[in-house]
Amino acid sequence: MRRLALGFLLVAAACTEEATAPGDCPNFCPGGQIVVLDSIFTTIIERDSAFGGYLQPYQSGAMTAADLPGLQSRALFVLNPMITRVAPKAGDTTTVPIVVDSSRLALRMVRRNRATTNLWLKLYAIPITTDSTATFASVDPSFAATPVDSVSIDDLLSRPLITDTATVRFWGDTIQTDSAGHILITTDSAKILTLFFQFDTLKAPFVVADSGRLGFGIRATADSQASATFGTVESSDVPTMLWFFHYTIPDTVSATPDSVVHTSQPRAPQFDTFVFDPPTAPLDSNLAVGGAPAARSLVHVTMPAFLRDSFDIVRATFIFVPVVPSPGSAADSFTVEARSIQTDLGAKSPLTLGAIGSVIVHPGSSDTVRIELTDLVRAWAIDTTMPTVLVLKQQPEATSFTAIRFYSSRTPAFRPALHLTYVKRFPFGEP
Amino acid sequence: MTLRLMVALTVVMAVWPSGRLAAQDSQFGIRGLGTPGKWESVRARSAGGAFAPFDAFSPLLDASLADVRRMSAGVTSSTSWRSVDAVSGSDVSLRGTRFPAMVIMGPLTSRITIGGGFATYLDRSFGITTQDTIDLRGVPQPVSDEVTSDGGVTDLRLAAAIRLHRRIALGAGMHLLTGSSRVIATRRFEDTTYRTSASRDEVAYEGAGASVNALIDVHPDLRIAGWFRSDTKLRADVSGRTAAENDLPLTYGAGVLWRPGGQAIIAGTVAWRNWASTGPAAGPNAHDTFNWSLGAELGSASSPIRFGLRGGQLPFGVGQTPTEVGYSAGLGRQFSGGRGRLDLGIERLERKGTGLRERVWTFLLGLTVRP
Repeated sequence: MRRLALGFLLVAAACTEEATAPGDCPNFCPGGQIVVLDSIFTTIIERDSAFGGYLQPYQSGAMTAADLPGLQSRALFVLNPMITRVAPKAGDTTTVPIVVDSSRLALRMVRRNRATTNLWLKLYAIPITTDSTATFASVDPSFAATPVDSVSIDDLLSRPLITDTATVRFWGDTIQTDSAGHILITTDSAKILTLFFQFDTLKAPFVVADSGRLGFGIRATADSQASATFGTVESSDVPTMLWFFHYTIPDTVSATPDSVVHTSQPRAPQFDTFVFDPPTAPLDSNLAVGGAPAARSLVHVTMPAFLRDSFDIVRATFIFVPVVPSPGSAADSFTVEARSIQTDLGAKSPLTLGAIGSVIVHPGSSDTVRIELTDLVRAWAIDTTMPTVLVLKQQPEATSFTAIRFYSSRTPAFRPALHLTYVKRFPFGEP
Repeated sequence: MTLRLMVALTVVMAVWPSGRLAAQDSQFGIRGLGTPGKWESVRARSAGGAFAPFDAFSPLLDASLADVRRMSAGVTSSTSWRSVDAVSGSDVSLRGTRFPAMVIMGPLTSRITIGGGFATYLDRSFGITTQDTIDLRGVPQPVSDEVTSDGGVTDLRLAAAIRLHRRIALGAGMHLLTGSSRVIATRRFEDTTYRTSASRDEVAYEGAGASVNALIDVHPDLRIAGWFRSDTKLRADVSGRTAAENDLPLTYGAGVLWRPGGQAIIAGTVAWRNWASTGPAAGPNAHDTFNWSLGAELGSASSPIRFGLRGGQLPFGVGQTPTEVGYSAGLGRQFSGGRGRLDLGIERLERKGTGLRERVWTFLLGLTVRP
């Protein structure tokens, strides 16, 4: 009997259910049905505006040099001051002058048009007074002079890899080099190129009066569609000048008098930017995204009450119609990302962390841009405290001249819209 | 088995979550109000249901409480394995464990006995999956839907029986129909760009009813029973809003029990319910039902063997009224000097309707205690 009682308890505990079966509808299914509706809401986007000046070119993480039909862009940077004297003995107030022997400039090309041919980079000397007020026109005379140096990227890439252990030990990787002594190290499947330019004191003179500051401008040329982007001091791909110099230790301060010390010191840019012509057009009634200075657009959405109460949104797509195709080459495609905001403070609304939706915009294309934002719109439908505002921004911002403009709600025929697919609430309780 | 263990088992079963207080479900009930429960103890059900009007531990008849002379309680559990064969070709096996009835009773005076408990009125536990392809944004999109419901309508009964004469007992009961079902409707899209949509809710049911019935011993070995029950509308509320309101059927029936010898009892019943009048929601798929049963119990009262046969109709189904035929058998054993009884049973049901056929094996386990 005890065993029976135990069995009884086991049966009670092992109430495994399997109640779901393929439905033979409509005869043996519930009366209600799951109904999906699909609508494009053209009037719920309103109070949409563009705002500029979020990020200046000199604040961005990259700078672009390009030579495109109807568009020129130049990258510029000015190096930090270099020491002109050195204390040969630690703690001694006596200093001696340094004598620069040579220098080596390292540039990291983080993006380039890999479809173009005969890509050349040319380095020009620019005034060390170049600052954030620089325009394409103001620095253009510097690019009319003879370049300090130039290098053919295609030529370097075609050179054999040098893989001997001595080279790898020095450079940290296999290299390619040309007859002019340029060094190339490729990383990330040759997407990122690190270029080394060797300068003597004629090409890169060390002017004590200028504290060794030098300014360089980069121009990209190719058979067509030349476009290349370089890291800046705001990124991890900082251009770096390595100064090689020596100094002589006086006989009064060392156990090895009149000995010559050879050493080097790096210098990163004090300032970097890029200029382009024609510049980004002033903001107008349309929704601008990108460019330099960077522009963003804020879009307010009025969620219909019935979507909050009776429907479950399964897909939400924002639709934006470009006014004109974005300028640039195919390699200048860029990402437009959508962000929600934490609180609505207009142009200064703090953004939430991370993109919630994005789309890649291809220059030259006038296709309608669609951004999937299902999770955001579902959140808006559930949480009525959330500001129903969308911010469109370029990612990364202000790294090139690329920008896109969409028609706003002030152009009724092409105004932004929200394409929603939603499921009607199931009629529970009815047989 | 000690008395303490018996009481513990009874308590475990009595406090089991109400969502499982359902009878065996059926695909035929999905399109209607549900699958009606069987108001039978394991003893009665093992005999095809024929002993239900005469068995105080079956929540069918209130008058049968008059036979109880001491505090008693009984609980029923069932585990079913169900195979569903649809004409469309889909065959599937389902299973479920239920606690369809509990009864507790005791004498108030020498002639009046009161009792109560719960039983399943309608089972609303089911799950349905379907596949389809719909056109969305100009593109065919495969979708799969799943609608599940877990719960049912429980009949809470408070009853009293009075023995008017040594051959006549009358009973009456008040019934509160309550319960809920957790319902989930889910649509999944093969294209993951579309999010899965899931609607969840809880449907609360509410209704009331009353029953009157009588037991008459026309002979020391022959007893007859008659019963009548009427219920109000069954209201289904979702989030405080009435989603549906349906009439509930009148229930009436009669039974006869004969003791041809000291160790043999034979019984039979007939019952009618007018489900067709349950309202427009059930529509033309609701049918009046007639059910019958025939059963016997052989052997001593301490360890009898039972078997039975039942037949009849189911209230919901497209086209013709679905039918049900069942065969059952079981045995019981008293212990602790007759203060406890364990009943085991097995039942085979076959249900047929337009477009669907179900076969059900049910293992029944019942415990009765008289502390």
